[in-house]
Amino acid sequence: MSSVPAAPAAPAPAAAARRRSSVRLVLGFSAAALVLVAIGPAILPDFMVNNLIRAFLYAVVALTVDILWGYTGILTFGQSAFFGIGAYSAGLIFTHMGFTFEHAALAFSAGIVVSAAVAALVGWLAFYQGASPLYASVVTLVLPIIVAQVLYSGGNFTGSSSGLSGFESFDIEMHTWFWIAGTFLVIVTAGAWMFVRSDAGRVLVAIRENEARCEYLGIDVSRVKILLLVVTAVIAAIAGYAFASVQMVVAPEYAGFVFGTELVIWVALGGRGTLIGPVIGTLLIDVSTAYLSGDLPYYWKLIIGVAFVLVIVALPRGIAPLVTRLFRRARKGGEAAQDSPALRKAQEEPFAGLAGGGHHAIALAGVRKHFGSLQVLEGIEFTAQRGELLSLVGPNGAGKTTLMRCLADGAERSAGSVLINDHDIARAPPCQCVAFGVGRKFQNANTFDALTVAESLRIARTRLEAPSLWTRAGSLDLPDAALKVMQATGLDQRLGMQVRHLSHGQKQALELAMVLALEPSVLLLDEPTAGLTKQERTQIGQILTELTAKHGLCVLLVEHDLDFVREISSRVIVLHQGRIVLDGTVTDVVESELVRTIYAGGGAMSARLA
Amino acid sequence: MLSGKSNLCFALLAAAALAGGGAWAAEPIKIGIPVGLSGANSVVAPSVVQSAELAAEEINAKGGILGRQVVLEVADDGSGAAGAQKAFDSLIFQKKVNVLISMETSAARNAGLPIVTRGKTPFIYTSFYEGRSCNKYLYVNAWVPDQQVAPIVDYFMKKYNAKTYFLVGSDYAFGRGMLEFTRKYIEKKGGKVLGEEYLPMDGTDWTAIIGKLKTAKPDALITSTAGGAPNVTLTKQLRAAGVTIPYGNLAVDEGTAKSMGGDADGIYISGSYFTNIDNPKNKEFLTAMQKKFGASLKTPNDLSVPQYEGVYAYKLAVEKAGSTDADKVIKALAEVSFEGPRGKIQMNKQRHAPLTMYLGQVQKDGSVKILETFKDVDPGDQCPKLK
Amino acid sequence: MSQLLDIVTTAAILYAVAAGLLIVFGVMKIINFAHGGFLTVGGYSALIVTELGGNPWLSLPFALVVGCVLGMIVERLVVRPLYARPLDAILATWGLGIILGQLITLYFGREVQFVESPVKGAIEFAGASYSQYRLILVLLAVAIAVLLGLVLNGTRLGLQTRAVIMNENLARGLGINSGLVRFITFSLGAGLASLAGALITPLSSVDPNMGVPWLVSAFMLVLVSGMSLVSLALACLVLGGAQVLVSTYGNPILGGLTIVVLAALILRFRPQGFARE
Repeated sequence: MSSVPAAPAAPAPAAAARRRSSVRLVLGFSAAALVLVAIGPAILPDFMVNNLIRAFLYAVVALTVDILWGYTGILTFGQSAFFGIGAYSAGLIFTHMGFTFEHAALAFSAGIVVSAAVAALVGWLAFYQGASPLYASVVTLVLPIIVAQVLYSGGNFTGSSSGLSGFESFDIEMHTWFWIAGTFLVIVTAGAWMFVRSDAGRVLVAIRENEARCEYLGIDVSRVKILLLVVTAVIAAIAGYAFASVQMVVAPEYAGFVFGTELVIWVALGGRGTLIGPVIGTLLIDVSTAYLSGDLPYYWKLIIGVAFVLVIVALPRGIAPLVTRLFRRARKGGEAAQDSPALRKAQEEPFAGLAGGGHHAIALAGVRKHFGSLQVLEGIEFTAQRGELLSLVGPNGAGKTTLMRCLADGAERSAGSVLINDHDIARAPPCQCVAFGVGRKFQNANTFDALTVAESLRIARTRLEAPSLWTRAGSLDLPDAALKVMQATGLDQRLGMQVRHLSHGQKQALELAMVLALEPSVLLLDEPTAGLTKQERTQIGQILTELTAKHGLCVLLVEHDLDFVREISSRVIVLHQGRIVLDGTVTDVVESELVRTIYAGGGAMSARLA
Repeated sequence: MLSGKSNLCFALLAAAALAGGGAWAAEPIKIGIPVGLSGANSVVAPSVVQSAELAAEEINAKGGILGRQVVLEVADDGSGAAGAQKAFDSLIFQKKVNVLISMETSAARNAGLPIVTRGKTPFIYTSFYEGRSCNKYLYVNAWVPDQQVAPIVDYFMKKYNAKTYFLVGSDYAFGRGMLEFTRKYIEKKGGKVLGEEYLPMDGTDWTAIIGKLKTAKPDALITSTAGGAPNVTLTKQLRAAGVTIPYGNLAVDEGTAKSMGGDADGIYISGSYFTNIDNPKNKEFLTAMQKKFGASLKTPNDLSVPQYEGVYAYKLAVEKAGSTDADKVIKALAEVSFEGPRGKIQMNKQRHAPLTMYLGQVQKDGSVKILETFKDVDPGDQCPKLK
Repeated sequence: MSQLLDIVTTAAILYAVAAGLLIVFGVMKIINFAHGGFLTVGGYSALIVTELGGNPWLSLPFALVVGCVLGMIVERLVVRPLYARPLDAILATWGLGIILGQLITLYFGREVQFVESPVKGAIEFAGASYSQYRLILVLLAVAIAVLLGLVLNGTRLGLQTRAVIMNENLARGLGINSGLVRFITFSLGAGLASLAGALITPLSSVDPNMGVPWLVSAFMLVLVSGMSLVSLALACLVLGGAQVLVSTYGNPILGGLTIVVLAALILRFRPQGFARE
């Protein structure tokens, strides 16, 4: 197998230069913001300075909401709970134990530890395998309610409805607090910016776009979400700690769900998924509220409410994208060319670890699947070896896709056992099955429309190469087979193109390349040739044959195109009404009376058979 | 009754009045009034604002304070901590008021005090409360438990031979503080407390607590809830559940009692003001209020009359100090006394004031019949560290 | 005995509040966060009747009508465009709840107000003296349940609604005008919420935010009931009963949390909740 020609030298330094300039952009903006923070107290009136301190801290929490919601797709009303936990850590310790430096440090750590623990618990509850997004949002809504109620029930200890006040705190001037809060906001914003632009940040977008695809690429989505929640919870708690220290008052309202929903409103109005939008939105709205709600008490909140509903219905991306579109038009940019990494050949190890080859690549015994009283699969039993290319045929509704699912997701089947590379997948979720060596390609092109080709492939490599939290890698390692697919279909020239702009055939090829990037030892393909041209089909066929012959993969194919099957398959399994009716060579199948009758009196099938 | 409209009308009138009365020389004196226009205190707040308005009008008619016009700045503190922070902040730092004179829930007061300290603004607190709130800038001209609880408990023990009591309150500093004092007093007098239950300030469902009350079968009930709304919901639900034991309410004012309608009949209250107090200053006051507000008058009560007197106390203090400088005014406030509807009041006992207290019972028509009177009751040791 | 009555009456109140939310969730698969706002509208409808000096019983049909009309407007303008975006629909209806609250505040003022109760006082019931109004609420809640059941199971519209609940695409394929079903369902849901608001205000008070605490309990109950009115009744009894018990023997504040916490836990381990499948 000839190796891929080394990527041309030109793009790499250019791409690297663009990345460096983007880092410089972030640093530049941060520096400018810090300067503004520094001179703020000198030029702004006292009332505005006091307000901005609060607004800065709210903006930090709004940022965390944007990361969770705008980037990862988790609609959360619960960040206020973590803010409240941080605030009450300070309030409780300063009130009941007095204020000393040690106590301040204790309160700080307590806030972080408690909020992280609560976040982990909430994550476990809300992000389990198969949880619906609605349930997750409901749990995040319930959390601040519970926290507020616990605070209410605390009697004199937590101050109940009164909250706690009059406790001693850091002896710092308001000006200094302004600098502290402002710097905190700038740091968190800059950090968040770098994070979402990094490779790890792209994983969040992938999860938002297509969670199922991520699972089947071996990414443990639950764990990612829980981790993200814990980190954002800690950041919110730190903001809460600062808030309590400067205000010297804590009250249950700051942990409650009205505040939690206000955060969502600010993020929605500012522009979800843009980071800067929510920050500016929060600052503007909070400061305006302070000035206007005294004079226009009823109308201001009404205006916000109406704006919010309008934005959700008509402008779901918020106001920020409108602004940036103006900027972009001014700069005459159009779709900015994404800097693409260079492609390189990966050091392949498809049979490493759990994916190691065993006696059988695939072994099913007594597999059954039923939905209520409807029996979809019954008594499925077969084995397959490495280097085998096995086709699964049968009329629609025979259970082919269900069988595929049973191989890639341990929770799918109702009974029986499935062994991949001699490992019993038991009830393992899809991301675990990927570790066993399974790679599944879906029937309809199941890709990440909002990402670029290169980013999609990078996501596919996540399990094998942990992505950076700060930067984008300059090069992308892909196994040989994936590279071949990219080259054969011309995708290697379109690394920077957004997936939504690809043709159907190209999307199919990209998905195949992504699955191959997993370095699977067992490849499950659901109608890979659907919608492809003749030439594309031939290419795919060649690739698949090579995969089994040269690389020793076991490939299981669901197909309707019998010509294709005949060309590449060594073995065919015919499925009918959930049972295997025939397991043999192509000739066996073609000559079988039984198969003919199954396909109900001819039509296209009998013409093919002739 | 549809106050949205009347607020608008009032705003227009006020604007017209301000536009018309432009004959003042120096900068006006601003009095900040953070009060619960929404939330638990919203039933009572309008009466407080009215008292302040009458006081301001009367003072301005006689030339203002040191020749300067008195202007009121009202802000909504939401009857709670978070709202109070915003209200106090806005009044002290944005509107730059010279003094704060108002009644609020203890939650709001506690949240506002750090801002008062930071802004170095005198604060005359005009609401009865649980006591022992001390701050360099704070004065209180309303009663504390040391002045108010004894009459009710003594009366119950004497007239009803009540030995066992059940206590119900709103869960915050005031509710807990009042009932803690009450419990100590009951036990000191040889009585027994069978139960003490709390609901958060904004809670409206007293079902479980009423259930416990009925199970305990006490001789008498004493309650201390926040402001107006919790009083009304509790009383309504108590009556609906058929509770008829002697009921002492430490925290209800006459106006709220009136709005409870027939449900309030028989409730015992103890306070420093009732509308039928027989002295000439009170009659003058009531006449003036009736004249100014007519049909939209909210019944003056034990939370709104101290507001009227507080504004006058401030006037006297500024005149004595010769300026609005905070430190001078703070010193002067302890030295001036004002003769108002509640009699002669001077805040000279550790920032609090000796007051004449009355024990009354609500009648079927909502009015209060005064049963006993106690002259010049001492507030006790409220702020021993402040002189 | 008194405690048993507490449980039954609490369950009845919860049922009245949650029924409207359930039918909207079943047909449209979205949680209508404006439900709290409609509850508040119902409360204020009762206030209008009190202020006009009318018979307090009139507030019930009045609230129902007001709620339905409002629901129709909302469905047209806000809910219809968001059919494909359920999470956004939650947000938009929440924003709507805020708008409703603010409009009410503008017109009525933000202070707490009170309505006349249609019946007052306690009566002797099975050996205990109990609030008459609460007992009547049980009867009213049962009446609502029965009427809803009759409509769903006995009328053509009800049949179409059940079809849309089960499989909207299939129903449309069979010629059912699912747009009309959704419109009617949402309006009815809003009307029921408003009616519930009018029912509960005599127990406490009316203020612009009164609907909010009920909203969360109501939708947890809906989530845990699946699509069935019967399992909603069951959920109200079980979870409402738990709430009363925790409030009485534990802490009334934590009691308020019982429904919400139990429902979240039940859903975690049995996603279909109280429903059969």
